[in-house]
Amino acid sequence: MTGPLTPDRLAETMKAYGVIEQVRKNRIRITTAPDKVHDTIRTVQVMFGFDRLITISAADNGRSLELIYHLTGPHRMVVSIAVELERAQPAMPTTTDILPPAGIYERQIHDLFGIVFTGNPHMKRIMLNEDWPADEYPLRKDWKPDPDTFYGGIKGERS
Amino acid sequence: MPEVVIPIGPHHPALKEPVNFRIIADGEKIVRLELDLSYNHRGVEKAAEQRDFIRVLPLLERVCGICSHSHATAFAKGIEEIMQIGIPPRARYIRTIIAELERMHSHLLWLGVAAHLIGFDTLFMWTWRDREAVQDTLEEMSGNRVHYNINEIGGVRCDLTPSQVNAALARLPLLEERVNTYVDMVNSEETLLIRFRGVGRLSKEEALRYGTVGPTARASGIDYDTRKDDPYLAYSEAPWNVVTDSNGDVFGRTRVRVRELQESLKIVRFCLENLPEGPIRVPAPKNAPKGEILSRYEAPRGELAHFIRTNGTDRVERIDIRTPTLANWTSVAMCLVNRNIADIPVIVAAIDPCLSCTSRITLVDNQTQKAGVIGFDELIRRYRSRNPEEV
Repeated sequence: MTGPLTPDRLAETMKAYGVIEQVRKNRIRITTAPDKVHDTIRTVQVMFGFDRLITISAADNGRSLELIYHLTGPHRMVVSIAVELERAQPAMPTTTDILPPAGIYERQIHDLFGIVFTGNPHMKRIMLNEDWPADEYPLRKDWKPDPDTFYGGIKGERS
Repeated sequence: MPEVVIPIGPHHPALKEPVNFRIIADGEKIVRLELDLSYNHRGVEKAAEQRDFIRVLPLLERVCGICSHSHATAFAKGIEEIMQIGIPPRARYIRTIIAELERMHSHLLWLGVAAHLIGFDTLFMWTWRDREAVQDTLEEMSGNRVHYNINEIGGVRCDLTPSQVNAALARLPLLEERVNTYVDMVNSEETLLIRFRGVGRLSKEEALRYGTVGPTARASGIDYDTRKDDPYLAYSEAPWNVVTDSNGDVFGRTRVRVRELQESLKIVRFCLENLPEGPIRVPAPKNAPKGEILSRYEAPRGELAHFIRTNGTDRVERIDIRTPTLANWTSVAMCLVNRNIADIPVIVAAIDPCLSCTSRITLVDNQTQKAGVIGFDELIRRYRSRNPEEV
């Protein structure tokens, strides 16, 4: 790496991976495809030192489910790598192999949005209680609680 | 040798908050640790989508009972950035004062809890007594000890009068003296050294690899601090330094926290003495334009990230809250491996876990001592009966 990292230099290299936006000073957003996420993260890690995963955000925009990986590094720039996944069977290859902290976020997103992270060895429930029905994902926009379904707590003891 | 599974929690005398660990142990040594955080989900993220911004602020304060100001400020500054409004300097300073007082009361509370866990109850009582001076200041300024609710979109809710500023300044010398005492104690007191040194060590590389945040990361020599990296409020104006330590163990985390108390005192003093004149808020529009923001904030426990998406109305489309404790669990699970079972309480406590913050979406909530639990559908029904037009 030569010279300080600037948003322009980052954008120049990363435009091969997707659509680049500069959301504000020192922040770059890359919209890419699900199968390119792994390469994109690897590239910003190796070439630009983005070694720190801030979080993985998930959102439901009605048409599709979105994942946004936010990374930062010693230069304190933030890169956000966004992908859209189809709603019917949302799946995404895990990034735990290159980002160890991603595991806990992936499990959380799986609980709340039902996105399957293929290859994550511990895809167990972490956020929702054990009584929660297996196929209901509460943070999806179309989720409505069903009055006849048992969502947890103690049966028959509701005040 | 056969491995034994030891369940700890969610109700356990050594834990302050509900979490379940499944410790896979070989004799006294921990082989692996599995976590279950699902005991305190309250549906805050979902609930925030149903309310306008004015009503989201008090809701987000209740994500956490310790860092309530952190959540409200992270949200308010995110929405203000989407709306492209700048808040007046006086409001920025007041928010900074509350934020640093909050950090002080949180760190003093932590120091007390850590001392209590190792059986050093004298220190526990001292720190919690001194914490009252901070709480009194917060109560004078905002009217509340815990949920200050000082934020509004566009500024702060109430102004500081000269007498409030003077009363706060008058308390600082005592706090400065006490904090200096704690810095000395942490470095020299035998009881603390024996129980904290070498326990739960994380090297710099490990701390980086597992995405550790806040004092836990800074104790391993990582100088990430959102207040410097991505300055907000008045942090670029006040004189202060990022505190790091090279020990990487519970001892290092304690040293970082007590020295951060000194830095917080410097910031509070600077802001009180240089409080700009002027208005405390600007009128904010009702609706926010369509937009998306990652609002970063350095909470007492580490970096807090609010991912906010707006859709042109007065409600958020999505708010995704990543709390510092969630980020730190990975490192806890890693640094417990090969340690003694007896070290669990103090290693877990060293990240200052805050589980109400972390798990926000469960349905079960202990409301009264007697009836036990209230179901989510019941909660929804009550909500609907109060707001029939909204759902």
